[in-house]
Amino acid sequence: MLFNSLSFVLFLVIVIVLYYSKIFNWTGKKRMLLLSSYVFYGMWNPPLVILLWISTIVDWTAGKKLAVEENQKKRKMWLLLSMFVNLGFLAFFKYGDFLLENFVSLVNMVGIEFQARPMDIILPMGISFYTFQTMSYTIDMYKRKIEPAKTFLDFALYVTFFPQLVAGPIVRAKDLITQFYEEKKATANQFIWGTFLLTIGLFQKVVLADTLLADTSDEVFGAKSILNGLDAWTGTLAFSGQIFFDFAGYSTCAIGIALMLGIVLPDNFKYPYASIGFSDLWKRWHISLSSWLRDYLYIPLGGNRHGITRMYVALMLTMLLGGLWHGAAWTFVVWGALHGIYLVIERLLKNRIHIKINAFNGVLLALLTYMLVNFTWVFFRAREFSTAKNMINSMLFINSDGEKILQSFDIIKVFLLITLLFICHWVMRNTSMKEVSLKTPAWLLGIVWAIMFFLIVISQGTGEQFIYFQF
Amino acid sequence: MQLKQSLIIAIILGIISVAAWELYWRSQGLHPTLNDEKALWAMARANVEKAGKDDVVILGSSRAYFDIQVKQWEKLTGKVPIQLSSTGSSPLPTFHDIVNNTNFNGTVIVGVTPGLLFSTTYPKAFPWERPQSKVDFYRDRTYAQRLNYLLSVPLQQNLVLMSADEEEWNDDIDLKALLKRVNWGTRDTMPPPPPFYNFGDVSIPRNISMMPRTVTDTAFAKSIIDVWHFFGKGSPPPDKDATTEFFMKDVKKFKAKGGNLILVRPPSSGGVRMGEKMGLPRERFWDSLVKVANVKSYHFEDYDQLKDLVCPEESHLSLDDANFFTREFIEILRKDNAIPNLKSN
Repeated sequence: MLFNSLSFVLFLVIVIVLYYSKIFNWTGKKRMLLLSSYVFYGMWNPPLVILLWISTIVDWTAGKKLAVEENQKKRKMWLLLSMFVNLGFLAFFKYGDFLLENFVSLVNMVGIEFQARPMDIILPMGISFYTFQTMSYTIDMYKRKIEPAKTFLDFALYVTFFPQLVAGPIVRAKDLITQFYEEKKATANQFIWGTFLLTIGLFQKVVLADTLLADTSDEVFGAKSILNGLDAWTGTLAFSGQIFFDFAGYSTCAIGIALMLGIVLPDNFKYPYASIGFSDLWKRWHISLSSWLRDYLYIPLGGNRHGITRMYVALMLTMLLGGLWHGAAWTFVVWGALHGIYLVIERLLKNRIHIKINAFNGVLLALLTYMLVNFTWVFFRAREFSTAKNMINSMLFINSDGEKILQSFDIIKVFLLITLLFICHWVMRNTSMKEVSLKTPAWLLGIVWAIMFFLIVISQGTGEQFIYFQF
Repeated sequence: MQLKQSLIIAIILGIISVAAWELYWRSQGLHPTLNDEKALWAMARANVEKAGKDDVVILGSSRAYFDIQVKQWEKLTGKVPIQLSSTGSSPLPTFHDIVNNTNFNGTVIVGVTPGLLFSTTYPKAFPWERPQSKVDFYRDRTYAQRLNYLLSVPLQQNLVLMSADEEEWNDDIDLKALLKRVNWGTRDTMPPPPPFYNFGDVSIPRNISMMPRTVTDTAFAKSIIDVWHFFGKGSPPPDKDATTEFFMKDVKKFKAKGGNLILVRPPSSGGVRMGEKMGLPRERFWDSLVKVANVKSYHFEDYDQLKDLVCPEESHLSLDDANFFTREFIEILRKDNAIPNLKSN
């Protein structure tokens, strides 16, 4: 079910009415939320709910055993079981075809004639998100960082809680399960703020991403010809805006919906396009994933505790795997590799050059960071390396006689929107929406809210899927 | 409380602005109509799964869609035909789907628009990709998509502002369509295509009828004619051999299942007809297909009551003429005993 759909509006109204009705006690409400979450997921493909159940049961059992088991070998076995099941799901459903393709290429390269039929495996929606979430529980249990969930219901709801089930934020057990222990009820202000966040999220997705930016990006990245530099830049900038509004829009909706139920989810984006450097970027972009990768991959790989070389290797590996997490294609690996290289270069430079950041050089560095990010987006969006290569050449103005496929209005629209996006991120860099709203007069907030609502209604949207659902 | 005030203001202004938007577009002469979308097609396609020997499925391009009126058919035969024709499309992918993915062995009427049926078998070509995307949507649609559509129908039937058609008409009024109409200068050298306005009213069970404006407003009709001429000039040459070969494989399978196939060539007129006579002459295309298919076939030119029908925009019949065409076509089928158990009204 998509947040930007009529069925979800109906679903949410029913859930909220049941949640705030007096017919259930807290346990009944949690059961209702769990059942609703399965309906939410099953409305897409009912049989794949079974994967959620398996993941839930395996990690619940592993967590329970880890809580009492003292034998280190056995503890490790339980951890490995959880990782084997969750990563096994990912390997089969997400990377099955990719692994097969690469295996075929490899054996062909060594001269063995072999062809394999693609397995055409359906990718369960949000599998990368909920498997990472459940794994974090087991790993934290293994490290004795958290207490086990009190009941199976609390744990199942943690794995399946519908607002963040299919595209995050990837929430840690300590931040979410404990919220289920006592009855939650949104205050009037929380409920209204949640509704406001839901409106903003839908506005970002339906109006900004799908209506104003998606077509330009699709047209440019779908072009068969070599493009003019301006067209290539416009398409890439459009995609940078589209992916931000699409994903941040989803996260904002998820946070808002949870808040309407009195549950607090962590921020997933903090105005990332105003980042000064790449370390800063990864503290602001998809925060729940980058912190997951830091805690469960980068640090176990050695982090910065074993010398500079090991740190850079850990950093590169983390970013390469982070790239692969986004999709089963080498273009995503290159995207991750570029970010890894940026991070390594940044650390090297930071050791040699010390710059005191002020408003003037800060904005220039943020702009430079954003420009470099755009080159990585080319690999993220392009389906083929040849497309990415042509796009990069055009963006570097190497293809001087490239084709002009965009109309003047589209270019102006994208540049205007992206400029506003950048300014907005820069202004909001050290504050939050909540803080700004507290300083905004009620009438002005109401007008902005009404404008967003009106634009969502007249955009309508054709129920476009969120980009991150495929990851 | 500050947030409460903001919410109240947002609700009041939101309702006022949406109502004003709706009233404005109504004052501009627009009226609510269903969008001709994949979800509606899929609903009709689902009916094929439970259809029996006495049922009729209509396939084809926009001519079979506009010219065979479902309600008229139901009135005269007591049966609602399943309308699966699709605008700008070859009927071959849909026929292929029905023959290969269902047990249906009733009657299939294939409307022949020569420029589309004989166009291509290339999967990425527009006349093929478009109906195939509907077939794929039917196969892959989720329960959420089904529910979304059911919920959207009453809204589409009552609100003009729900006009984001998949066809992306030039007179759609969703935000994306409105922005597309902004022209601040072109950068390429290609002439833009002429504007293409919606000229059909869609209803459930899936049916389309020509909007009255197309008959009464000649300038509007001319804008549609310009689009046909634009497409006519830019179309690649037909691929008669490949399309016929593809079609015949499915015809044989369908006949072997006991299915009853009927071909019909609905009317066209004016410049479009002239272009078809030059580019897709009857002898080389229609007659040749009829010969190899060896099924009951009906060309409008062969019937006195049909041959002089005039299409307001040269390619489709007005609602009155479409009702007439449907009535006469049923009468012809009845006399010819082309459909078993076709009841008299």
